[in-house]
Amino acid sequence: MPSNNSQPIPVKQFQPKSQFTNWIGILPFFVFIFVFLIFPSLNLFSGAFKDQQGNFTLANMKFLSNPYVLKSYATSLQVSIITSLVGGIFGFFVAYAIVMGNTPRWMRSILTTFSGLAANFGGVPLAFAFIATLGRTGFITAILKNICYANAAGVQVCPFNPYDNGFNLYSLTGLVLTYIYFQFPLMILTITPALEGLKKEWREASENLGASSFQYWTRVALPILLPSILGSTMLLFGSAFGAFATAQALTGGSIDLVTILIGQQIRGDVLNNPNEGYALALGMVVVMAFMIVGYTILQKRTTRWLKL
Amino acid sequence: MSYLELSNVKKSFGTTIAVDDFNLSIAQGEFVSFLGPSGCGKTTTLRMVAGFELPTSGQISLQDKNLTYLPPNKRNVGMVFQSYALFPNMTVADNIGYGLKVTGKPKKETNARIKEMLGLIHMEEQHNKFPSQLSGGQQQRVALARALAIRPQVLLLDEPLSALDAKIRLELRLEIRRIQQQLGITTIYVTHDQEEALSLSDRIVVMSKGKMEQVGTPAQIYTSPETEFVANFVGQINLLPVKVVSPTQGKVKVGEQILQAGKFGHLNGNPIRLAVRPEELNHGFIEGANNLSGKVEAISYLGSIVRIRLDVEGNPISMDVFNERKLTIPSVGDDYQVTFPVEACWII
Amino acid sequence: MKTKRINFWAFFWVVLAFLYFFLPMYGTLDFSLRMKKGVLSLLAYQKVLADPQFLASFRYSAIMGVITVIFSILLFVPTVYWIHLKMRQLRPLVEIITILPFIIPVIVYVFGLIRTFSGPPFQLTLTPFKTDILMVAGYIVLAMPYMFRAIDVGMQTIDVRTLTEAAQSLGANWAQILFNVIFPNLRTAILSGALISFALVIGELILGDFLARPALGPYMVEVGRDMAYQPAALAIMSYALTWICLGLITLFSRSNNNQRQILGR
Repeated sequence: MPSNNSQPIPVKQFQPKSQFTNWIGILPFFVFIFVFLIFPSLNLFSGAFKDQQGNFTLANMKFLSNPYVLKSYATSLQVSIITSLVGGIFGFFVAYAIVMGNTPRWMRSILTTFSGLAANFGGVPLAFAFIATLGRTGFITAILKNICYANAAGVQVCPFNPYDNGFNLYSLTGLVLTYIYFQFPLMILTITPALEGLKKEWREASENLGASSFQYWTRVALPILLPSILGSTMLLFGSAFGAFATAQALTGGSIDLVTILIGQQIRGDVLNNPNEGYALALGMVVVMAFMIVGYTILQKRTTRWLKL
Repeated sequence: MSYLELSNVKKSFGTTIAVDDFNLSIAQGEFVSFLGPSGCGKTTTLRMVAGFELPTSGQISLQDKNLTYLPPNKRNVGMVFQSYALFPNMTVADNIGYGLKVTGKPKKETNARIKEMLGLIHMEEQHNKFPSQLSGGQQQRVALARALAIRPQVLLLDEPLSALDAKIRLELRLEIRRIQQQLGITTIYVTHDQEEALSLSDRIVVMSKGKMEQVGTPAQIYTSPETEFVANFVGQINLLPVKVVSPTQGKVKVGEQILQAGKFGHLNGNPIRLAVRPEELNHGFIEGANNLSGKVEAISYLGSIVRIRLDVEGNPISMDVFNERKLTIPSVGDDYQVTFPVEACWII
Repeated sequence: MKTKRINFWAFFWVVLAFLYFFLPMYGTLDFSLRMKKGVLSLLAYQKVLADPQFLASFRYSAIMGVITVIFSILLFVPTVYWIHLKMRQLRPLVEIITILPFIIPVIVYVFGLIRTFSGPPFQLTLTPFKTDILMVAGYIVLAMPYMFRAIDVGMQTIDVRTLTEAAQSLGANWAQILFNVIFPNLRTAILSGALISFALVIGELILGDFLARPALGPYMVEVGRDMAYQPAALAIMSYALTWICLGLITLFSRSNNNQRQILGR
């Protein structure tokens, strides 16, 4: 609906006396948001530029260049980028298979329903589920462990025991595997509407004009999908970058993600200068802001044809 | 001389037969329309020529080359879709040049062709616009140019005008015919609009329920429909239930009024009906022609035409007359005499 | 209509997705039933349900969830209503504000919340009751993207203006309009927002953990540290709870299945 239909409704007692009266209706919301969202955030960010006496300083920024901190950012970025790319690509293919692959209807409805469930299933229970499945005594680990045979020398070898082959669930690899559990369903949920928006006629027109399937994808379908793909990837990145509970419950805080570091800072068991903790938190928001700015620029470029 | 040949083409989806026993040969440069209601198989037939559907049996050949199972991107037939199907992420020029780019034509040739096509559809100014900035009519012109840019051997149009406003539809209809004649391109045009088919085509294929009902020039289709379906679907028609008086002479009667059929086969089957178009009827009585008397039941103004509905022995009959100044319009309930030439009516 | 063969790759990806979904689920279920050596049993579940701490933390989180839902509704329904009715020009701004909890990582937000309100002049963390106020405020903010969107979508599907005018012409005052006209017509939307918020509060770890309140999230972490089989049972129970919440949403929003919701973590 256009926004210009906000004329006052023609009943007397409801007629606003001024623009000011209108604001009263939404005042509670803005007060609440200011007190419990904006103010704490600003407080935190301004704290990043203060020393413990409350004077302005840039010293906390130096803390961000501490190799330990830098490594935590690198780890967080690594996990977020890998899981959003792998999960995104995987989710994209699954969504594509659901929308266009002539898969049986019952499979499709089960998959979409479970995407809703899995995308919503994060936090501590997800970590538990993976521990029960891929942990040292987990269900799949047990199956793989028991695939054994006697080699030429008569020695029992179990070549598939993951924990003998460098796999560890409580590591970065394990974290990535676990995150993908909610990442790819999130991709399925967000990209399916875009895939459904691809018109059958575009493919036909493309074929009709002599293009191969590959050319159709690179020149027509992907450019059209790109804005949605970018948006979804952005969401995936954010959800991995900010994740705390799964990592905490899975690795007990032994992998230094930025979120884990901030958690330790809140408990006060690592750093003793709270303002350095604020800088740590500000850094996360700056990363998110960079991602959003980058996303917006890309979005503008890829949707030139949409906006006109 | 057959250019595009469809022989015994059949298409079924599961147990439903969409097209059956389709035989047609189209000459080079000919404009053929497939006309019929939705679901009659006309679009399916077109899509088999384009390669989007494979016939269940039968053969399609173009210049004696078998096309039947060739993939769509190897056929060199241009298709225009009802929904335009322009690529939204490309400008007008890029859309038109797409077919040349993907087949690796030199840039110079591509650009020259784009220019030529823009000229053909009179849209040089809009070459840099995106489809979303164009009107429906403009989009469909671009789609036409895009299909023609690859110099296809056959042009296929799938209800290209049905998504457009009435006025634009007429305008674009004339343009399609102009471009088709200018290029002399063999064209198949699918439509459910009889006016489009009649005004554009060299030949019309009327289809119903997957079968060809009649093939012929617009004049043949209109003046001598071979089946009741064609007679009903193309134009307005009066179908008067009649009884045979003389099978050899083609004399029939409605009530006690004797009529002479212009064309008749063997008049043995009952019930039979006499077909006559409303515009063939005139007010009055002419010796030697067919004459009927009835009562005026309703009168409707259709702008340039006035349609008078009569009741003749309990059967409704319509008569169309030009809305001229000199016209005297009867009143409802009047007794009314109408006459029509013997050649204008036939037995169905 | 068309009888095409199933595309091999489509099939491959779908099967892979199935495995990724169900193996951990199955693994967890299997694991949770093996507490008694050699036999399948519900012992792990019995232990969890018999743990007074579980019951206490579940009750605490459930109560927090209900309170959060009530206050969210009271805060957001009038706000969204007012925006739809009179302040349409504010919608873009409010939309941006409501997705802020997606952009600011939860831990960062909670960090700010704690540091701001634990010290003077607010000192909201001194007593459990005051801390709970802070908890609810935090939950409301975290659930805001879902709650707001659900109500906003619901509000778009009903003609707010006409309903309001009709109620007014019948002599209703505006509390009556809200409670007798707007709320009932938004039932489905409010309910799906409420369920998703409730599920979020139940599963939330960070607020309860760092404000040291006996919520279900911190309890689960603790169990995960100390026990082997109970966590699997807890995970299955969470699956079931999320499942029920989502199932209820689908049930209530019948035709409206484009309203897919995603919980934060």
